[in-house]
Amino acid sequence: MASGSTCVVNERLVGQVAVIATSGVVDMITAPQLEDAITAALAKSPAGLVVDLTDVEFLASAGMGVLVAAHDAAPEGVAILIVADGPATSRPLKLVGIADIMPLHATLDEALATFTA
Amino acid sequence: MIDSLSKTVSSAERFERVGVPADPGAAARTRDDFSRWLQSNFDLDSYKANDLVLAIYEALANTAEFAYVSMGRVGTMDLRAAHDPSESALSVTVADRGQWRTAPSSPPDRSRGRGIALMKALADRASIQTSTGGTTVRLVWEGIRRR
Repeated sequence: MASGSTCVVNERLVGQVAVIATSGVVDMITAPQLEDAITAALAKSPAGLVVDLTDVEFLASAGMGVLVAAHDAAPEGVAILIVADGPATSRPLKLVGIADIMPLHATLDEALATFTA
Repeated sequence: MIDSLSKTVSSAERFERVGVPADPGAAARTRDDFSRWLQSNFDLDSYKANDLVLAIYEALANTAEFAYVSMGRVGTMDLRAAHDPSESALSVTVADRGQWRTAPSSPPDRSRGRGIALMKALADRASIQTSTGGTTVRLVWEGIRRR
């Protein structure tokens, strides 16, 4: 498990879809970093947004709150998808019902495929 | 600032951090110390290990965020974990001497407030005891065996 509250957030465009890849720890200290990245990405009016948590080693409720807030703030028709798999991410997201609010995918490819299908 | 009441205990049976500042940085450090203690003493798969660390962090984070807000000062919090080898049970308490904000925001903000739900879902047993003297979260896991 990661130690300390270090979180790296990278943003890129895949076609018209914004992809925010996050790694490390998303807790009450670092969640604002993810929030800022999502806000910035949505401001560019992408067709969709994928938050890739594949390399996240610890996800606390503060980070989950950011995801739900993004989902609620996204303009009509802009889907926000989460990529998460494993004990640190998909398990707690499913436990508290985030997976029922927004789509969860095991891989980035799977998430991106939903935009081209 | 050094709190003269702070205390650190770490053995195979017990892990204690008493008098930890109730702030986000100390919550993260306590989480990481607890995680290392778990890894070095118990036989846990990655799911169980994350469950335990996340649950105790949510308790610490709640305290760091809310417990002393109305008091206008940074108080302290205590984490005490004890393993009972005969029961294969690990019990953890997180205690503060502040006041949790209990009134929900209006309208309810669904981007917040999942910490308590998480703790309850992650632990085998969870209870939260609130009094005028503070709040104690108690979390228990069964089937936890020593390495």
